[in-house]
Amino acid sequence: MKFWSYFRDHTGCAETALELAKGTTLGETHAAVLDEFPKLAGSENSTLKAVGLEYKDDDFVLSDGDEVSFFPPTQGG
Amino acid sequence: MKTELTISTGAIDEAALAKCREMGKGMGAVICFLGVVREIEGDAPITAIDYEAHEEMAHHQFGLIFDAVEKSWPVESVRLVHRLGVVPVNEPSLWVEVTAPHRAEAFDACQFIINEMKQKVPIWKKPIPA
Repeated sequence: MKFWSYFRDHTGCAETALELAKGTTLGETHAAVLDEFPKLAGSENSTLKAVGLEYKDDDFVLSDGDEVSFFPPTQGG
Repeated sequence: MKTELTISTGAIDEAALAKCREMGKGMGAVICFLGVVREIEGDAPITAIDYEAHEEMAHHQFGLIFDAVEKSWPVESVRLVHRLGVVPVNEPSLWVEVTAPHRAEAFDACQFIINEMKQKVPIWKKPIPA
């Protein structure tokens, strides 16, 4: 999984890998990430989540090799 | 609908972009929007904004926005440039051009593109304090 913008500062890394059980959802993965990187907890409700290039909901079930991105609200323009 | 998307660290050259404009004879409106870095971010003075993007996803999300424009308005073309990296105060970070038969659809489509971009395109800014 990848972290973008100031989430990278909170995690201290641009990406990491997690071993997840088969059938794990994106929401459960987010919870696991918050356990590992507690500094992200303050942004829990505003975190945007993408799998590959698409936004996905918390109930999306991840597949082997999926690239998950976590990031703060977008600010283009 | 023709689309052209540039996401890069290069400065936005309005004159060069205008020179490359191609319009069909049925087009009666061109809207050009320029987003420029202000000297104040929040309440604090800044010298620049450092823009970062998840570029591959940004291209994909802009593509979805352009698809939605094509379904909603009779727009002939959209060209959009978003600058990344350090953009000093007073310099543009965003340029959007929409050509359409009439001004109403050109204005509406341009607003839609910018509103959608702000919500969905993974670009972030980091203000550089003065």
